[in-house]
Amino acid sequence: MFLNELTELSGVSGCEYEVRNYIKGKLSEMGCEFYVDKLGNIIAHNKGKKNKNIMLSAHMDEVGLIVSNIDSDGFIKFKAVGGIDQRVLNSKVVVIGENKIPGVIGSKAVHLMSEEERGSSLPIDKLYIDIGTSTKEETEKVVNIGDYAAFKSDYVEFGNNMIKAKALDNRAGCSIILELLSQNLDADFYGVFTVMEEVGLRGAETAAYQLEPDLGIVLEGTVCADMPEVDEHESSTFIGKGAVLSLMDNATIYDIETVRSAAKIAEDNNITYQYRRSTSGGNDAGVIHKTKRGAKVVAISVPCRYIHSSISVASKNDIDSALKLTKQVIIENQKGE
Amino acid sequence: MLKEFLFDICSNHFVSGFEHINGDILKKYFKPYTDSFEMDRLGSYIFKRAGSNDTKIMLAAHIDEIGLMVTSILEGGFLSFSTVGGFNSSSLVAQDVTVYGKENIFGVIGIKPPHLTSEEERKKPLKIKELYIDTGYTKEELEKLVKIGDIATVNRKPLSLQGSIISAKAFDDRACIAVMLEAAKELKKISHKSNVYFTATAQEETGLRGAKTSSYKIAPDIGIVLDVGFGKTPDMPADSPQLGKGPIVAYGGRLNTKLTKKFVEICKKYNYPMQHEAVPARTGTDTDAVQVSRDGIPCILLSIPLRYMHTSVETIDINDLEIAGKALARFINELDNSDLEEILCF
Amino acid sequence: MFNSELMKKLSDCFSPSGREKKICEMIMDEIKDFADEITIDPLGNLIARKKGAGKKILFSAHMDQIGLIITHVDKKGFLRFANVGGLNAKELLGLRMVFLNGLEGVICQEELKDKETLLTSKLFLDVASTDEEFIRNNFHIGDMCVFKTEYYETEDCVICKAADDRIGCYILIEALKNHPKTDNDIYYVFSVQEEVGCRGAKTAGYTIEPDLAIAVDVTATGDTPDGIKMDVKLGGGAAIKLMDKSIITHTDVKELLTNTAEKNNIKYQYEILEFGGTDAGPIHTSREGVPSGVISIPTRNLHTSGEIFNKSDVEECIKLVIAVSK
Repeated sequence: MFLNELTELSGVSGCEYEVRNYIKGKLSEMGCEFYVDKLGNIIAHNKGKKNKNIMLSAHMDEVGLIVSNIDSDGFIKFKAVGGIDQRVLNSKVVVIGENKIPGVIGSKAVHLMSEEERGSSLPIDKLYIDIGTSTKEETEKVVNIGDYAAFKSDYVEFGNNMIKAKALDNRAGCSIILELLSQNLDADFYGVFTVMEEVGLRGAETAAYQLEPDLGIVLEGTVCADMPEVDEHESSTFIGKGAVLSLMDNATIYDIETVRSAAKIAEDNNITYQYRRSTSGGNDAGVIHKTKRGAKVVAISVPCRYIHSSISVASKNDIDSALKLTKQVIIENQKGE
Repeated sequence: MLKEFLFDICSNHFVSGFEHINGDILKKYFKPYTDSFEMDRLGSYIFKRAGSNDTKIMLAAHIDEIGLMVTSILEGGFLSFSTVGGFNSSSLVAQDVTVYGKENIFGVIGIKPPHLTSEEERKKPLKIKELYIDTGYTKEELEKLVKIGDIATVNRKPLSLQGSIISAKAFDDRACIAVMLEAAKELKKISHKSNVYFTATAQEETGLRGAKTSSYKIAPDIGIVLDVGFGKTPDMPADSPQLGKGPIVAYGGRLNTKLTKKFVEICKKYNYPMQHEAVPARTGTDTDAVQVSRDGIPCILLSIPLRYMHTSVETIDINDLEIAGKALARFINELDNSDLEEILCF
Repeated sequence: MFNSELMKKLSDCFSPSGREKKICEMIMDEIKDFADEITIDPLGNLIARKKGAGKKILFSAHMDQIGLIITHVDKKGFLRFANVGGLNAKELLGLRMVFLNGLEGVICQEELKDKETLLTSKLFLDVASTDEEFIRNNFHIGDMCVFKTEYYETEDCVICKAADDRIGCYILIEALKNHPKTDNDIYYVFSVQEEVGCRGAKTAGYTIEPDLAIAVDVTATGDTPDGIKMDVKLGGGAAIKLMDKSIITHTDVKELLTNTAEKNNIKYQYEILEFGGTDAGPIHTSREGVPSGVISIPTRNLHTSGEIFNKSDVEECIKLVIAVSK
């Protein structure tokens, strides 16, 4: 499992170099053929029996923050990179820039708030990062406008085979592709690690342009809200109920035959799976299926609670199911008629 | 040394009402500098440094911190909880926690992802009732590990920021326990005459309860209360007290004017920096209980400036603690050589 | 066996906070043959003692009930009032109230303007008389009145007024009558003025200086439609309080109560109440502190004219009080 190391790395959209360097290192160790394209996507090739052109894709980037201003007392103002609920930011630890300067996200003490202020959640412009400096000059010695800040949150295994970490969306997908590339399967596929998914599926578009896949398989960490007081039909997916197959989201209507055949493959191989019960959100499939001549796409995901916050949660069993299912789907599709 | 103490003590919990669990850690640090130890019956720790006269000086800082208490065990391995002391519920979202059940259980407090919430919903602050601890167990497994009434705290490793700034949970009021430790160290170097009681009070966060019982037990001649105050952040007035500029001296009806004046004089004489605040009535600190204990106790109140109170990233400047500790030792020493009755008479 | 007659007598007794004389006499009469020593302290707390050389244990149940105090009697005979204890205007409208002298009235409201919120100041008590002299002679500023409701019971439950905290009184009376053989020095305190801030318990706690204090009082439940979130239910047994706004139960006391219940096969449930407090609040911070806890009786519809509790829960509470005093 690469997930422990992968989730400790910073890779806010547009600043994925730590993740990229890690994956490049692992690919070199494996002796896997790969290159990095002009946007920063890693494109690796697993050679083997080939029936069609298969592209596996997982994005390396994560949601985070970018420094937008430094005030006279040295406090750092920021903007969100990717979709972040403003309510998850208060009192978190972040690391900023290449030197990973630690800081905490502060706000007005609740004791000092008016009744009205307490009645609404704090918008991002009322929050700031405190790195322990007291002047603008002091801060500017270590942090500059444009620096990225990522959540700091340890990888923890807990409960019943569960994992808590930041950026499970989508280091879970990255680790699955790495795992498959390390297995030397006799089935041909490209493993693509894309950039900037969280800010508009940027990397996947150029990668698909280069590879012209017949079948795109997107690996994701996807929304899961199987929590108390959320109705079943609103939870989207359930932890522990296996790999997730998407039917439709805001960006893609998945090829129904491919999806159903993936479901059958799961059943035939005793792999637990579930369908995604929500049509919100979108992923790299949204651009892959529309590039050039177009491609059939399927998304195989790991259900992750609390994504886009510092503490996402996933089940190792589900990751395992997604890995097994992806592998079988590749093998079946390269069998040939 | 102070930092080591703070990081150690802030890595352990002292939730209000449960201050006894990790008491040995506190004792380990105070023992070398004090002569005897006792507790009041609510769980306040009282470390005494004996002097040669009959004067009793009580230093008080509260050891307790706000926490969570499990109220029920739900399907899917979730726990609902209530708070012990006043929590800013927004600071609980997306945090790791430890539940102190039969064993220590890791959990997280998450909310629905933005994909599934409306713009309207995200503008509303979350209430404690809408938050759950996710333990990753099934309900059946969890019921064997956790009982209603078990407590939980947010996980936060203490963190060094730039320079002498540090951040952790529960610096309110462990920072002031560190001030007492510093004062105890300084006092050991000199032969002071007064009996000094370093009191780590229990249950301040739930209503100054330990300060009430411990001050009754000690029955001191004067009380010196140490707590944290609001350090300046961008959303506060320009003239607010700042981190790194020394402890904040309070003025108002709950404080003894002449005693406070004496402290200020001594700080000036020895060049200890300090800041000032006016507190017309209720201080919201242990002072409010100590002052009216038995037949009344003249008090002074010092606050350490702190940012982001009652969150898991309370932030302070360690220099403020050293200054306050040294100034207090000096103050006690000078009181020994003054006519206390003269100072305390109206 | 549940003593319905005693419970009904206690519930029907007129005794709002600060006017506890009547119930004090009633309880005194009930227990005088069972206690070694009975005193009434300056605030009016009734303290019954069973002497012993051992540990000093204080049990406390409050005698007072919520009610209204008359603040103004106008010329036409309408009475204005303020609340004594936790009551709010919207719960009062239309209720029948009764005075110490047995006279009654009904709570009516002024005509409200659009969307105006109902405040106590918009309510008045109509005492059903147009005879100004009769009114002048019988109703005075400072008089108090309480709910007028009939006691009612089913096979397993009771509806009555002032179950808060006459059940507590009932439990202590029964416990005292069945006082076990023990070395402990037991004080059964029937306290005054709980509803206005646990005032009686504060002075009783100071005077007695016990080693252990247990309040016996009602608590809310979470078993009604769309009610508050709480794990306590009617019929779930004696509730052992873990926390409310006035106390975090001392860990040793929580363990004592739990172990005692388990050892004696007493049905119990844990209770965390997110509002309110009891006599244990001021008692546990008395002097240098008193390890304290609360045995609660799960009660629905609190602070209304019809509070509902379960008789078997009461039996479990009595057993627990007796077992703890041993």
